[in-house]
Amino acid sequence: MNASSRTTQTAMQPDTNTETIEPQSGRLEIPPQPSLLWPNILTIGVGAIVLAAGAGLQISWADIPQIPANVANYLQLMFASPNWEKLPRALTEMWRSISMAWLGAILCVVVSVPLGMLAARGVGPAWLRAILRGLFAIIRAVPEVIIAIILLTVTGLTPFTGALALGIAGIGTQGKWVYESIESAKEGASEAVRAAGGTTAEVTRWALWPAVAPSIMSFALYRFEINIRTSAVLGLVGAGGIGSMLSNYTNYREWDTVGMLLIVVIVTTMIVDAISGAIRRRIMEGTRIRELARSA
Amino acid sequence: MSASRELVLPPRPRNRGRTALVVLAVVAFTVATCIPAIGGVEIDLASIAKNWRNGADKLIELLQPNFAFFPRTVLPMLETLQMAVVGAVIAALVSVPLTLWAAKPTNPNSTGRFVVRTIINVIRSVPDLVYATILVAMVGVGALPGLLTLILFDLGIIVKLVSEAIDSADHGYMEAGRAAGGSQFQINRATALPQTWSLFTNQWLYTLELNVRISAILGIVGAGGIGRLLDERRGFYAYGDVSVIILEILLVVVLIEFFSNVIRKQLTK
Repeated sequence: MNASSRTTQTAMQPDTNTETIEPQSGRLEIPPQPSLLWPNILTIGVGAIVLAAGAGLQISWADIPQIPANVANYLQLMFASPNWEKLPRALTEMWRSISMAWLGAILCVVVSVPLGMLAARGVGPAWLRAILRGLFAIIRAVPEVIIAIILLTVTGLTPFTGALALGIAGIGTQGKWVYESIESAKEGASEAVRAAGGTTAEVTRWALWPAVAPSIMSFALYRFEINIRTSAVLGLVGAGGIGSMLSNYTNYREWDTVGMLLIVVIVTTMIVDAISGAIRRRIMEGTRIRELARSA
Repeated sequence: MSASRELVLPPRPRNRGRTALVVLAVVAFTVATCIPAIGGVEIDLASIAKNWRNGADKLIELLQPNFAFFPRTVLPMLETLQMAVVGAVIAALVSVPLTLWAAKPTNPNSTGRFVVRTIINVIRSVPDLVYATILVAMVGVGALPGLLTLILFDLGIIVKLVSEAIDSADHGYMEAGRAAGGSQFQINRATALPQTWSLFTNQWLYTLELNVRISAILGIVGAGGIGRLLDERRGFYAYGDVSVIILEILLVVVLIEFFSNVIRKQLTK
């Protein structure tokens, strides 16, 4: 298809150059339609896989029409009159989850920034890069819950375990983000440092770090946001915090308390996201124009 | 060159005060999260020093996978994959109208936009396993609560990310549609949608990846898939079996990541 369109172009070029635009036969040459054979085969293949997957699932499809009524019923049980009596305890547990998330984020960032930098092309030696990247990939594949379960045997059922699990589980993703952002940083500055005779350490300090520090800090805050959600999950396996409370009351079927807890989780998460998002924007986009004008 | 004209370095920006303030705030927050009296995390390094052998033993057991267990993992793994695929597809279908509804250029009606965005934000702020726990209590144990969890979770991601991408992009083509007298629906159908397919596909592939990861643990709360087996083997302290399952999840996740990267490269070419 490419070749044919190029020939049409070259054929038309002499016309425009000599400025003899004739009506010719009044027909524009339309490029041939691209073949839809492969996209069609692909679509049919994907569709077949999806249908097979759906048919194979052990779901009683007859129950599905009842789901909306069911869900509406439970939503009413949960949110019609939430049980506010346990709110103080819920807030303490939520703060515990936030603490877990924050400590986990700090631990994760402290470990993954140096490791991630070493794993970037142009910083660490090739063998170290391969080892570190493999390590990150393995950590990413192991669910946080599994890491928490292993840690439980060491530190017991405490929020500290949760913080450690969040810290370790985050290293995989965080390290990947660090080396990817270093590798996508513009080459110019590091070339300049190297041309001035800088060692790899100096290149990292004076060219790479200033370039990627804002995005690394932004990622660090983002890790905190992710951890808040995950800390609720860790609570389900016994690491304490709001998740433990949620799973307990769900097991007791005390729906009015569950409703209250969900409201606490949702509101807190949205507030934290909003604050952290605002700080992240400030880090990535810099001072607003209004503030610049004031300082000038 | 005149010698009298010296180069004057601009003064170094002085934000030492603000840096100190930021550091102080971070330290203060960290200290506050470490006070058990107000519900913080008690940092208990002594127990690590005392019990690290337990964890090490467990890791050593995990490092000796019992491959004889592998045949029993095939069917649950298949169920996990089926849940991931079906969940991703249903979420993909539902996400298209919702996304167009939630983005400013494709939906000028601010009330409708606000409603959809609020719902999506609420959906996003509930963690996946919490959905699974509650849905298991609502609709019973099995693949169905898992599937519903995945759909809700995926919708939160796709609608948020794609609608924000549509918001921040430039939309000359939509103006062309409006100039030609199209209704908002026609403009969306004929111009906005073809322009955003690649954004959508990117997120769909990403949610498929995430789904495999998540559905692997959904079983812990009874929502089907390989997580149920994982939880069961862990309950029996059969760590050799657990590590086979983890290795399998690792393999599947890496394969899916590889293929979706290949597809993404094809799409962006």
